[in-house]
Amino acid sequence: MNIILGISLILLFGLFSSKVAEKIKTPAITAYLVIGIFLGPYLLNLVPDTVIKASGLISNFALSLIAFSIGQNFSRQVFKQIGKQVLWISVLAAFGAWFLVVIGLMVLGLPLYVSLMFGAIATATAPAALIMIVRQYKAKGRFTEILMGVVAIDDAWGLIVFSICLAFARKIHFNQTSSASIVVFKSLFEIGGSFLLGGVIGAVFSVLSRHIRNQRDLLIYTLGLIFLTAGLALHFHMSVLLSCMFLAAVIVNMNGQSFKYFEIVQTIDWPIYLLFFVLAGANLEINLLAQLGKIGIFYFLLRVIGKYFGTYVGAIISRADNDVKRYLGIAQMPQAGVALGMALIAKSEFSGTMGSMIFTTVAATTIFYEIIGPYFVKIALQRSNQLPIS
Amino acid sequence: MQVKEIMHARVIAVKRATSLAQLLDLFKDFHSFPVIPVVDDSKLLIGVVHLCNLFDVFKPYHQDILIRNPLSMLSREPTDIFDIDIEEGIGNLVIVADIMDKKIVKINEDQSLKQAYDLMQLHGRGAIPVVDDQNKLGGIISVFDIVMAIFKEKGII
Repeated sequence: MNIILGISLILLFGLFSSKVAEKIKTPAITAYLVIGIFLGPYLLNLVPDTVIKASGLISNFALSLIAFSIGQNFSRQVFKQIGKQVLWISVLAAFGAWFLVVIGLMVLGLPLYVSLMFGAIATATAPAALIMIVRQYKAKGRFTEILMGVVAIDDAWGLIVFSICLAFARKIHFNQTSSASIVVFKSLFEIGGSFLLGGVIGAVFSVLSRHIRNQRDLLIYTLGLIFLTAGLALHFHMSVLLSCMFLAAVIVNMNGQSFKYFEIVQTIDWPIYLLFFVLAGANLEINLLAQLGKIGIFYFLLRVIGKYFGTYVGAIISRADNDVKRYLGIAQMPQAGVALGMALIAKSEFSGTMGSMIFTTVAATTIFYEIIGPYFVKIALQRSNQLPIS
Repeated sequence: MQVKEIMHARVIAVKRATSLAQLLDLFKDFHSFPVIPVVDDSKLLIGVVHLCNLFDVFKPYHQDILIRNPLSMLSREPTDIFDIDIEEGIGNLVIVADIMDKKIVKINEDQSLKQAYDLMQLHGRGAIPVVDDQNKLGGIISVFDIVMAIFKEKGII
């Protein structure tokens, strides 16, 4: 089967699966993932090898678009808007999950670089799943508002933590000399370089953009910019995520009407995300699942406990209500798209068993989080009196 | 030619505190929903209401930030306007400040028609508010106004 035929099958089956998912009120991402498993080499084997091999390319495409979109949150207005409580809680919840998962998995005997990756992935939550639950139960109130604010912004923290951890993990794993100071220096160089790259491209092209006069040119210009940043980041072994995020952050703060860039990208990004998530499913190595029991369970629990305590401390510092302190932690349980994206990057970076293990564990726990998560969100909303009395 | 020469200076603008019911009542006899400027007491332009902003009424939360997260896909899925349960009192509960768009595409009245046209093309808008140097609302200009101006210039009308 040729690549074009393979991609057409993925697009059409992906669309079909999301229609089915809509009927049973499941997020589209889950549907893409499941159809990917079906199309993948372990079951129907309808995705050609060449397309599977291009997963790394497609995930870099998709994640540079995701990072670019998330980067627009780093504007002065948004920081004014999100408020102290959301800021403290989101930062500390992300840190809590990261810290506990890294320490816990190292105690369990996993290498440092693998634990770092798991810790970083643990920070992500699933805003889509949460909006759906809030909408479904018609939840309303201060608690719900803080929850929505937290899950909206914490993927941005998550991507930053992930990019930084990835820089360190790469240096720890691939560096011949194991001197700690060299690892730290090289990682910081990668991180700083990514910021510089995104910043410079953002600044230069923000100024040049006055020559762009219509939507067609704007789309070409924006995609060109994003891929220039991502491509140069890859070329210089820097972080695609950080540089694209910073590209957006610079544009959004330099240009008063920068929303046009983000709106125009939204017109074409969806098929790329679809490809990305179906391929994520096709990459799932089902045969590994059986061996992952212990790590999977630990990852699952440590993330929840970490989120809980992080939120608790954040709520104390920002003087939030008791309900927020007690229940906001468990409401952040769902995890989906962003986590899978991060895991897919980890898989393509660390080829071999460790990469596959990270990806398969995260994919499997994602499915559990999506089954159990909504139930806990409902309990949290109920206990904090956010649901209408029926 | 400058924007102020052909813009519509008599524009219905609303205030932040205008209720949804009042807003709909103002425009119920229009052909289609126009671009509605929102101004403060000193007539400074502070927002715009588009047709798509009315859709926000159907959503439980007006979450600017969530829309910016590409994976919060639900906020991007088309709202099923035939299948919504909406509270009766919402017309008086929701005010313009809740739904207005603060991302404003606007043009200065001294700029040229070409610049106005380019700006509308770039942002995919059919009409935009016109402001003076102090950001005070001066009027509205649409692509149709510009086309008419060109027709007039060529002697077609």
